[in-house]
Amino acid sequence: MAKNILERAVDWGRRKSPWIIHFNAGACNGCDIEVVDALTPRYDLERFGILQQGTPRHSDVLVCTGAVTLQTRDRLKQIYEQMPEPKFVVAVGTCACTGGIFDGCYCVSGGIDSVIPVDAYVPGCAARPEAIIDAVVKLLSALEAAQKAEPSEQ
Amino acid sequence: MLLALFHILIFPGMLFLGAYALVFSFIDRKLYARLQNRRGPRWYQPLADFLKLLGKETIIPEHADKRVFVFLPVMALAAVTAAYLYIPIWSSTSLYPFEGDLIVLLYLLTLPTLCFFLAGWYSTSVYATIGAVRALTQLFSYEVPLFMALLAPALLADSWSLSGMTAYYSTHPLYLLINIPAFLVAVIACQGKLERVPFDLPEAETELAGGTFVEYSGRLYAIFRMAIDCELVVVASLISAVFLPFYPAGAWAGFGVYILKTLVILFILALLRSIMARVRIEQMVAFCWKYLTPLALIQIIANLLLKGVLA
Ligand code: SF4
Repeated sequence: MAKNILERAVDWGRRKSPWIIHFNAGACNGCDIEVVDALTPRYDLERFGILQQGTPRHSDVLVCTGAVTLQTRDRLKQIYEQMPEPKFVVAVGTCACTGGIFDGCYCVSGGIDSVIPVDAYVPGCAARPEAIIDAVVKLLSALEAAQKAEPSEQ
Repeated sequence: MLLALFHILIFPGMLFLGAYALVFSFIDRKLYARLQNRRGPRWYQPLADFLKLLGKETIIPEHADKRVFVFLPVMALAAVTAAYLYIPIWSSTSLYPFEGDLIVLLYLLTLPTLCFFLAGWYSTSVYATIGAVRALTQLFSYEVPLFMALLAPALLADSWSLSGMTAYYSTHPLYLLINIPAFLVAVIACQGKLERVPFDLPEAETELAGGTFVEYSGRLYAIFRMAIDCELVVVASLISAVFLPFYPAGAWAGFGVYILKTLVILFILALLRSIMARVRIEQMVAFCWKYLTPLALIQIIANLLLKGVLA
């Protein structure tokens, strides 16, 4: 069954207003600076409706940086579970994608996807702000395609 | 009966107020962005935010009181919408004018702040509790100068109703100039009521992670945001009704002037928001009690003296 107008309106809202929360799972801080850079007036993410939120309860996209250390593992899981559905995860930086140079370290469990499901990967050491913005925009267009394909909830 | 329902639900009640609040919030964000040399959000951004929040999962914390938790956002929105019915929009009288509506309006506008406080308190989260306590501390600081600043023009006009004040000031338009200090006090103090920079301490994203609303998500948060946006419209309308009571003849012209006036107030509020940074709570309290309150007090005394001279 095709979606009714209300569901389509909500779908549209989801595509146009992704609010992000930034979490450092054990990055060297290089990628974090780039994420913060992407939020500055120079790149102006509010053009795409992206706002940074302080609490996981308000956010839709979890932007994660760094390899997951054993210390942050449970916290990452907790933050992910605190976010209301529907939610997405973007892994920023080579470390977040695969574990990078920290892979195999005694205190590291690997990339972000070793703990929670990841929807978009942004490689680079450190990932450039342009790459991060590109990833978010691609995530949104992939979301649009998925929304078109999925059937109505009723 | 039907007409009253129309007034409450469609115009100037919920539907119009909600739509105007979305437009207002867009203009506010756009101005903020332009003042920071950014491009800013697209015109439908507040609507998209609202729809998205409506479609999200609503989480109620385990230890929170479920009924109060759900009731508070609705209460805040209801209080703001009720307040809007007493504000004159297209003519010099509101829909339901009575002697003393200015006071009722001010009390109705205090309710959302109390709701924010209780929302933080009942969320049983540390961040939310700190935000809640700050909301209350702030309430006691800005409310006094705000009330005094809004009541000073009423004292001079010798009427506690908005329509009575309008009638007085339309015969003596020059007396409006006397109220300029009160206008400044009101514009600054209402930043505290609206929880905007520099007085956005209860929300303080960077230190309290969202403050009083930390545990709110989905639909309930959408209603809270709507209440805040509507409050911005109502406060701007109230300030324009008190300090700029100009109503040309004819409903359409009056409506146009109303929009223009509120937009001017919004511009001032957005300007204040973008040129200032957040202050600390004790700075906020000190500022309100040391500077704003005495200024409002001087205004009241001046108005009383003037009234004696004129009488
Ligand atoms: S990808 Fe490079 S810059 Fe980013 S966290 Fe890893 S080592 Fe640091």
